[in-house]
Amino acid sequence: MNFTIIAETNGENLHPTTYQLIGAASSIGSKSIVICPNGKAEAEAASIEGVEKVISVVGDCFDIFDGGAWSTALNTVCEGNILISASPNGREIGARLAAKRNIPIIQDIVSISEGIIVKRPIYSGKAVETLTVSGDAVITLRPNAFEAAGLGGEAPINTVNQSADIKISIQEAINKASERLDVTEADIIISGGRGIGSIENFSHLEDIADIVGAAVGASRAVVDEWGMPHRMQVGQTGKTVTPSLYIAVGISGAIQHLAGMRSSKYILAINKDPDAPIFGVADYGIVATWEEAIPALKSALSELKS
Amino acid sequence: MAYEALDFYDVDSLLSEEERMVRDMVRDWVDEEVIPNIENACRDGLFPDEWRVALGEMGVLGAPLKGYGCPGLSYAAYGVICRELERGDSGLRSFASVQGSLAMYPIWDFGSEEQKNHYLPKMASGEWIGCFGLTEPDYGSNPGDMITKAEDKGDHYLINGAKMWITNGTIAEVAVVWAKLDGVIRGFIIEKNDPGFSAPEMKGKHSLKASVTSELVFQDCKIPKDRILPGVKGLRGPFSCLNNARFGISWGALGSAQACFDSAKEYAMSRIQFNHPIASYQLVQNKLAWMLREITKGQLLAYHLAQKKDAGTWIPEHISLAKMNNVDIALEIARVARDIHGANGILDEYPIMRHMANLESVKTYEGTHDIHNLIIGRHITGIQAFTREA
Amino acid sequence: MNIAVLLKQVPDTTAKIIISGGKVDENSVSKWSMSPYDEYALESGLQMKENNGGALIAITCGPDRSKKMLTDAAAVGADTLVHISDEGVTDSTHVQQLLAAAIRKYEVDVVLCGKQAADTNAGSTGPGVAEILEATCVTLVSEVNYTDGKYITMRPSNTGSEKVSTEGTSVFAFDKGTVELRRPNVRGIMMAKKKIIESITSSDLNVDLNGSNIHLDSQTPPPEKAEGQKFEGPEHVTTVVSKLRNEANVI
Repeated sequence: MNFTIIAETNGENLHPTTYQLIGAASSIGSKSIVICPNGKAEAEAASIEGVEKVISVVGDCFDIFDGGAWSTALNTVCEGNILISASPNGREIGARLAAKRNIPIIQDIVSISEGIIVKRPIYSGKAVETLTVSGDAVITLRPNAFEAAGLGGEAPINTVNQSADIKISIQEAINKASERLDVTEADIIISGGRGIGSIENFSHLEDIADIVGAAVGASRAVVDEWGMPHRMQVGQTGKTVTPSLYIAVGISGAIQHLAGMRSSKYILAINKDPDAPIFGVADYGIVATWEEAIPALKSALSELKS
Repeated sequence: MAYEALDFYDVDSLLSEEERMVRDMVRDWVDEEVIPNIENACRDGLFPDEWRVALGEMGVLGAPLKGYGCPGLSYAAYGVICRELERGDSGLRSFASVQGSLAMYPIWDFGSEEQKNHYLPKMASGEWIGCFGLTEPDYGSNPGDMITKAEDKGDHYLINGAKMWITNGTIAEVAVVWAKLDGVIRGFIIEKNDPGFSAPEMKGKHSLKASVTSELVFQDCKIPKDRILPGVKGLRGPFSCLNNARFGISWGALGSAQACFDSAKEYAMSRIQFNHPIASYQLVQNKLAWMLREITKGQLLAYHLAQKKDAGTWIPEHISLAKMNNVDIALEIARVARDIHGANGILDEYPIMRHMANLESVKTYEGTHDIHNLIIGRHITGIQAFTREA
Repeated sequence: MNIAVLLKQVPDTTAKIIISGGKVDENSVSKWSMSPYDEYALESGLQMKENNGGALIAITCGPDRSKKMLTDAAAVGADTLVHISDEGVTDSTHVQQLLAAAIRKYEVDVVLCGKQAADTNAGSTGPGVAEILEATCVTLVSEVNYTDGKYITMRPSNTGSEKVSTEGTSVFAFDKGTVELRRPNVRGIMMAKKKIIESITSSDLNVDLNGSNIHLDSQTPPPEKAEGQKFEGPEHVTTVVSKLRNEANVI
């Protein structure tokens, strides 16, 4: 069977998630028909292994993002089960396609197997739902949860023209350096404690925060003693946070700090003291000085993000 | 960790939907505005004015009073408001108790129509703060022998004397003051700018630090004749007010106990010693189980008392029992909770010692523990044991 | 103008989720709340009503217990409360059809909802309902205003954010906004107590809830987290980073 894949791009190239969608289809023995909105990256899509054919949809309705216009334009070339990345745009296009075709949509799956059986997290990850898809459906896939397909294909490319009315009009673009998130809102937090030496060294944590879109937090010691702003404090008298990832750098893990971050989904601790209590709650612990570990972390994350 | 109010027997499920919505409104406000700021308020010894404004906006001041811009809620709702405020801080709840039960209530029950229309709406909105002047430096448990005096001077009253331990005094626009007029205790409404009246703050408290406690000083304080409360004479006046405030306190103390229990439980589950959380040790479990037992009993006492208050089938002794019991167990719970927190319990990182110190005042004010004991003793035996004289 | 706000009642985000017999045990949920993103939609709707006049219609599709959430919405100013029974609902298509039918019944001009519900974390309702209504939809908005016949809203863009406008029936799905959520007060609570909730079913709305292409097999606790892994030395940073991506799936 074939899956219809809606490709997503990052600039002129395909976003890695498109490779993951194709890989997911292949993993259950299916080939992919890849739809390239706005004609972007069609040649790249055609070169991916597991792609049966590429349909390049061109039209002026792709000039700006209007989920209604995009889904109208893409709908005519979709068939069967449709896979889309669970990115913000993907989720919206997927929901509109599903409603248009009167089929259900399953958002943000993390696994797929023959049947078709899919799993997705619910209640912010406190539980997992397993569903069987027995007919047509739209399925969006969580980024980075699936193996990417490799290159080596040579699929044919069809180009079709589609138009649809854009109903959203842009009044003003506001370009601003995205403000760093508050610790209570971020999905990733990197926090510093006394172990990072001085307040100036927070700039290294900020660099990492900028790479992964994280918030920067602080232990009470550095708020009280170095004057970090109180709103960054995580702990008993600071904020209680529940991010997907909490990176604790130079924080020993006193009970008051743990009270604020213990419910994080995953905890990475970096501390030079192998007996620091923080290692007792960390999923991943690195015993190292921050001077050595932070530059390495920064370059590893930069590479991952590029 | 998010606050969980212990309710082992599901007593809150007996409340009406309206009472539970009021509870949630106050609890959310305390979570968002009080808990993050209370320790600083306590360190600085200040009652934040924003809280007065918020309480007025929420419409919880003078909760059980009807008409004149007052909320008109049930006594159970009033109790719930006190409980949720005191889970934040007893000083915060004291502000509301004094405003509603001790300053607004006497005007509502014993005032003239003009007085009610003039004072109550602005007190309900929080625009005017009220206070209650009964206790004197030498007359606490024995208010009947007070020496603050009012003299009828024809076109005005002249008040002389002093009151002490008055919550809100220094920040109040309105003071309901009890003084003897020709030997009979009467209520008088004093306004902040009345000549001969001052309200200096009492400093140096180790308890109720986020609350303003004052002296009220009357040196030939001159007030117009229309300031006397016409509807009551004798101790019945102030005691009616105290009954209402004590009712609120019987619920309020539970809030403090619940806050201490929640903190102790969380701490015991996280604190590892000898490789195990201390919650796994028998002596700690014994303490937590005892706390749960007393809180549950206290909740049922308070709830049933609220039903009797709303139905009108109560007597003051019913209130004495609940105030006395619930404050007493709350103070013990705070002490045991401090013990469970170990050394950490003495830091203001945890609310424990603040609650513990506050409850020392709550145990003494609004009728000391021992006085309520004797009130019940007199009810049982018919014999008063307050004084040596008959 | 008639403003519809779509609300969903979910377990409070601090509540423990307990699985029993292959399903989430709803009876063990200690606290039910309005889904957090929906609160921003509601606040924005109330402000729009204050600025432009009109009525705010709070709509939910859920079990009986969700009626309480509508009363809470009334306590902050919702005018009309509509409860659609979720009997027979088995997938997203059903919910969207019911909501869209109710919206049509009340002749609504604009629809506000949260970007995703805190239980399903799906985010299909806003765009799906827009599709059925043939309306424009803008997602991830932080505020919505109405002037001179246009809805003006802010949404994120590649370079920061952008101000966009729509005309005609529109659906806006809210992210955490810049608006401050208002608190109820006692007066609001007492008036809300008296407000009648209109209770309707799928047959009242002439919506046929036929079978579904998907079947919920089970709900299970998340996979047990592996024991913590400890590494000595900064040379392991790259290994840990790839584990964060491939094992933990958090970056």
